[in-house]
Amino acid sequence: MLTNLTRRTLMKGIAATGLAGAFGSRAAFATDEPLGITLVIPSPIGDVGWGRALAAGLEPVKAAYGDKVKVTVIENIAEGPDADRIMNKTVADGNKFLIAGSFGYQNGALQIARRDPSVTVLHASGFQVAPNFSPFAAKYFQGTYLLGMAAATLSKTGKLGSVSAFAIPELITSINAFTLGAQAVRPDIEVSVVWVNSWFDPAKEQEAAKALMAQKCDVIFSNAQDTPSVISACEEAGIYAFNLNSSMKSYAPKTYLGCVATDWSPFFKASVDAHVAGTFEGANAFLGVTDKVVKVVDWSPDVPAEVMTKIKEIEAKIADGSFSPFAGPIAKADGSEGVASGATLSDGEIVAMDWHVKGVTTPLPK
Amino acid sequence: MNALEFILAGMLAAATPFLLAALGELVVERAGVLNLGVEGLMAFGAVLAFIVVYHGGGHLLSFVAAGLGSAVLSLVFALVALGFRANQVATGLAIGILGQGLSALFGKTYESLTVKGLPKLALPWLSEIPLAGRLFTQDIVVWLSLAATLAIWVMFAYTKVGLVVRATGENPKAAHAIGYSVTAIRFAAVAFGGTMAGFAGAYAAVVYTPLWADGMIAGRGWIAIALVVFGTWLTGRIFLGACLFGAVSLMGLAAQATGLDVPSQVLASLPYLVTIIVLGIISADRRLLKLNGIASLGEPFER
Repeated sequence: MLTNLTRRTLMKGIAATGLAGAFGSRAAFATDEPLGITLVIPSPIGDVGWGRALAAGLEPVKAAYGDKVKVTVIENIAEGPDADRIMNKTVADGNKFLIAGSFGYQNGALQIARRDPSVTVLHASGFQVAPNFSPFAAKYFQGTYLLGMAAATLSKTGKLGSVSAFAIPELITSINAFTLGAQAVRPDIEVSVVWVNSWFDPAKEQEAAKALMAQKCDVIFSNAQDTPSVISACEEAGIYAFNLNSSMKSYAPKTYLGCVATDWSPFFKASVDAHVAGTFEGANAFLGVTDKVVKVVDWSPDVPAEVMTKIKEIEAKIADGSFSPFAGPIAKADGSEGVASGATLSDGEIVAMDWHVKGVTTPLPK
Repeated sequence: MNALEFILAGMLAAATPFLLAALGELVVERAGVLNLGVEGLMAFGAVLAFIVVYHGGGHLLSFVAAGLGSAVLSLVFALVALGFRANQVATGLAIGILGQGLSALFGKTYESLTVKGLPKLALPWLSEIPLAGRLFTQDIVVWLSLAATLAIWVMFAYTKVGLVVRATGENPKAAHAIGYSVTAIRFAAVAFGGTMAGFAGAYAAVVYTPLWADGMIAGRGWIAIALVVFGTWLTGRIFLGACLFGAVSLMGLAAQATGLDVPSQVLASLPYLVTIIVLGIISADRRLLKLNGIASLGEPFER
């Protein structure tokens, strides 16, 4: 017996006792302890941006549950082993509701969900689903279509630009819908894209915006930048600009075109409600205008009233489901058919989009 | 403004953070010390400068604060690495991480705020030349860093101070034997390097991209260190390398904006490739490389 007691089995034994102890004590308090909610995000939380939008989405949950929930936000966590360690730690500390705020957290977060069925995990922009694991993403394209309409109206040169992070479907669809919306107003419009290949490099983003201005782009779409680098450079140059997630109007009081804002609170609230009621079911949450998650706010007063009326009409149609930016016929940038006449892309096809529509002049990186 | 004008107009400003930090590191390494903490020193300088400008202190004061702050932090490095003769690589890395941590801490409440940058000054006559004239409309810091480049070149080439610093790096024992205090000279060099890194960070945070965001230095300190090595510790080559790096990275963005069919990942890696290749070719002469290399780099000095 003793001969079998290696160091490894000994450690296992100690760990098992420790864990059993921890679980035992937690079960005893389960009824009166508040529900621990942890949000993990990759960038530091500023006044604006992706992290701010997610954190703000939890405020109504806090308001509704009061001291029955305890929200922890852990910011500036690099994707990879560090994130896995931190997410495991927070779950081990008894937090049963985890929001993994970046695509790269997927594998670590999924492992946690599989290991412990009592934990509910929401994961940003992923594709994996498990009974207690829901990926969530916003239909930004519904908003960028509307801003495309406004951009084409205000553009003098007929050239629009986009500073974009990485060529992934989520960002490609935003650019495509922006282009299609612009073409709905002005068919000959052209869109140039600069991929900065980084989620976070304010200096490079600003250089990219200036490169687009040098090509006479006079409305610029800051696609997935967490800092106001692009927006403030555009204000300085007197060029219209807009961004995603949270409003940056204060950085560009004169030339701010609008914001495709995301309000995650309806989704977070519903998910926490379901977790508390024990009815949570993992599903792919691809949410848009209809779900009140995506909304365009802070429209520039420079958009002419008759165009605004038209934009509001389309917005209402997107909300009731009678209009999709990706309804055919749509041609691809290389001239081939993207969507046939009469057909509409399904959500599944939209999240896998890897081609640009006609009118986007920058070839897509392969 | 076309793509070429865009590159000419932006090249020097894009190169300035690299140039300032690399010039500082050049002096440090010439004195025989390897300080790998440049990234952290830049971040620390950047946040100090941002805080000063944000509270209305003005740009001049912000550069003073950034220079002093980063110099103090670099003196911590000097104390450990030179005073206690700890391993310079490990100490430099530690100070670099400390600088980044401090910048995140101090910058916490300023995250994603913006300030006003500096106006551009056009040189009379020169800025009116078609096309090339774009080069001559820059902010004051760009002009000053060009002056600093010239001054450091003159210092190493023609002045006694430059020779003493070089002697300290080449043969500290000999420098000591003829009565120079190696430790004092190295302390001064490290403080100068820290000041320049602070200026570089300040330029990034209050002039070039006038905003604060944690991590905004985004590896520029490391590129500055690489420029010093690839520039074989020669002021002119470091200047060339910094300009080349700035120009090629702008070229990549301009190429995308014009719709050139080259994958953006290739364009993003071009600045590194081109700079390495060009500086590699220039410094291919092994004999010269040996001559320029610093004999006592990274070695602690014992009397």
